[in-house]
Amino acid sequence: MKRGFTFLLVISLLVLGLILPRGARSLMVQMMAFSIFAMAYDISLGFTNQCSLGHSVFFGAGAYGTILPMLHWHFGVLPSVFIGFLLGLVLAFLTGLISVRLSEAYFVIVTAIFSAIFHLLAMDMTWLTGGDDGLSVTLPKIGFGPLKLSLYHPLGTYYFVLAFLLAGYLALRTIVGSPLGMIFVAIRENEKRTAFLGYNVRTYKLIAFLISGTFTALSGGLYAVSLRYATADFFSLYWSIIPIVWCLVGGLGTLIGPCIGVALMSLFQYYVSAWWTYYLVIFGVLILLILRVSRRGILGYFIGRGARGGWRL
Amino acid sequence: MPEGVGFILFYLINGLIWGLIIALISLGLSLIFGVMGIVNMAHGDIYMIGAVLSFYFVSLFGNFWISLLIVPLIVALIAAPTERFILRPFEGHPSVTMIATVGISFILQQVALATFGGIPKKISSPWEVSFDFLGVSYPGYRLLVAAISALIIIGVWLFLYRTSLGILIRASMQDKEMASAMGINVNKVLIGTFVLGSVLAAIGGVLAAPISQVFYLMGNDVILLCFIVVIVGGLGSLEGTLIAALLLSSVEGAMAAFLTPTEARAMIFIIMVAVLMLRPQGLFGSNSA
Repeated sequence: MKRGFTFLLVISLLVLGLILPRGARSLMVQMMAFSIFAMAYDISLGFTNQCSLGHSVFFGAGAYGTILPMLHWHFGVLPSVFIGFLLGLVLAFLTGLISVRLSEAYFVIVTAIFSAIFHLLAMDMTWLTGGDDGLSVTLPKIGFGPLKLSLYHPLGTYYFVLAFLLAGYLALRTIVGSPLGMIFVAIRENEKRTAFLGYNVRTYKLIAFLISGTFTALSGGLYAVSLRYATADFFSLYWSIIPIVWCLVGGLGTLIGPCIGVALMSLFQYYVSAWWTYYLVIFGVLILLILRVSRRGILGYFIGRGARGGWRL
Repeated sequence: MPEGVGFILFYLINGLIWGLIIALISLGLSLIFGVMGIVNMAHGDIYMIGAVLSFYFVSLFGNFWISLLIVPLIVALIAAPTERFILRPFEGHPSVTMIATVGISFILQQVALATFGGIPKKISSPWEVSFDFLGVSYPGYRLLVAAISALIIIGVWLFLYRTSLGILIRASMQDKEMASAMGINVNKVLIGTFVLGSVLAAIGGVLAAPISQVFYLMGNDVILLCFIVVIVGGLGSLEGTLIAALLLSSVEGAMAAFLTPTEARAMIFIIMVAVLMLRPQGLFGSNSA
């Protein structure tokens, strides 16, 4: 039944690209890019209980890692996305090495400091990042042998991002379902006992952080490609908070849940930010309310009703 | 432009004065974490609220010193119910409190943006005197701020180490359950500590308002430095917080003589990373923190 549901979802995503009007389609592209971010973030928060406030570093790095090679060295889109992906991996490794071994309180604070420092630097180094104004780029065509795909075709970006979303989902699904994923969950449920079983908890936490950071960078790269633009604002703390909101709205510890969170929050932002400038207040209230009701997120609350567990701390 | 020794000294004193304000704010942050396990992301915004309220009172009464008295009272009145009714269920879980206080931070910032506006404003210095020192003219108000901050820090110290209420707070910091078992009214201690910590941040905001710009995002800059301070000093260690605040701000101030502010901040960040590599619990932190 579950497989059927996934199949149906994929088909509807494929068809939606054709039938949606222009505005809705670009909103959909944005949601799909963010969905990768949300799933990646959940690997960190929902699967290994590492509440990071530093994911904007990887999101921004992914965006610039993708935009800069296209802008300066005239790389193709795919190699550039791959460079952004690698940049995320490197940064996740460096920041993870420092932060993963820290205690919970230190971890959240230090990752938040990473985010703030990178934002400061990105705003300051205008020669590299373009600062607040950002950098725009013209996307080259993607060639598959004789076939040339232009991302300026209305459907180009949609199916480009959709392909990455499906690939990303499959990759993360495989990881989560593998023994490695089981160890992640074991760490979330009880870190001490997992260590007693002989697993090196730090190494597995670092692996989870790496996977999470790298896919976040991929999402940043895709988002930048869909906008043909990157700004230093991608490093701001907002981009570290928003994935938490997605995961909390959708449900922690699942892959589909955060995507539902993305869809709900994107629609919410799309409509509410149009008539109320201060919609971040609603974000704040929402965060407090959801935390009060269930730390597993809304979806997690309904699925896990009666069941033990939740976001263990 | 001053030269030589006076030049360096100017920046060093500037750094030290900021250090005292930062120490004041970080002390509140550290206290709140130590007693109730709240990583308070909204602490910088309470500082901002202090500055914004001060701006309103100065334009209302035309007197800065009245605002220094009234603003802490108002912030205390806001902080007490915030702790009791919003933060209480999350206490003791660092990441949950961090996310929850991010929510509060969003609300405070947007309220400030909606009422105060998005344009930075200035308060004129309430004490227009300057001192000549080694050939450098130094604004008197800044020295006064340093003196007031130092006095308040000493006051807080005496309160925590010499009064019975302070002993209750420190006892709760060490072991909340045991303190409760000894008959301490933990409820009062929790509210009291959060109010004290928030008032310290608000006083910092009032004092800093005339020497920096009043802006709805001004807390972000300060909370970053405060977090680095408590990380380097050791979470929940009051001595560590104090020493780290003075040390890091002086270093940053001295480096501002040669580097841009962002570069100086990046250097402080590198110091933090180095400290974390050697001592993951901070300079004065206990292993359990």
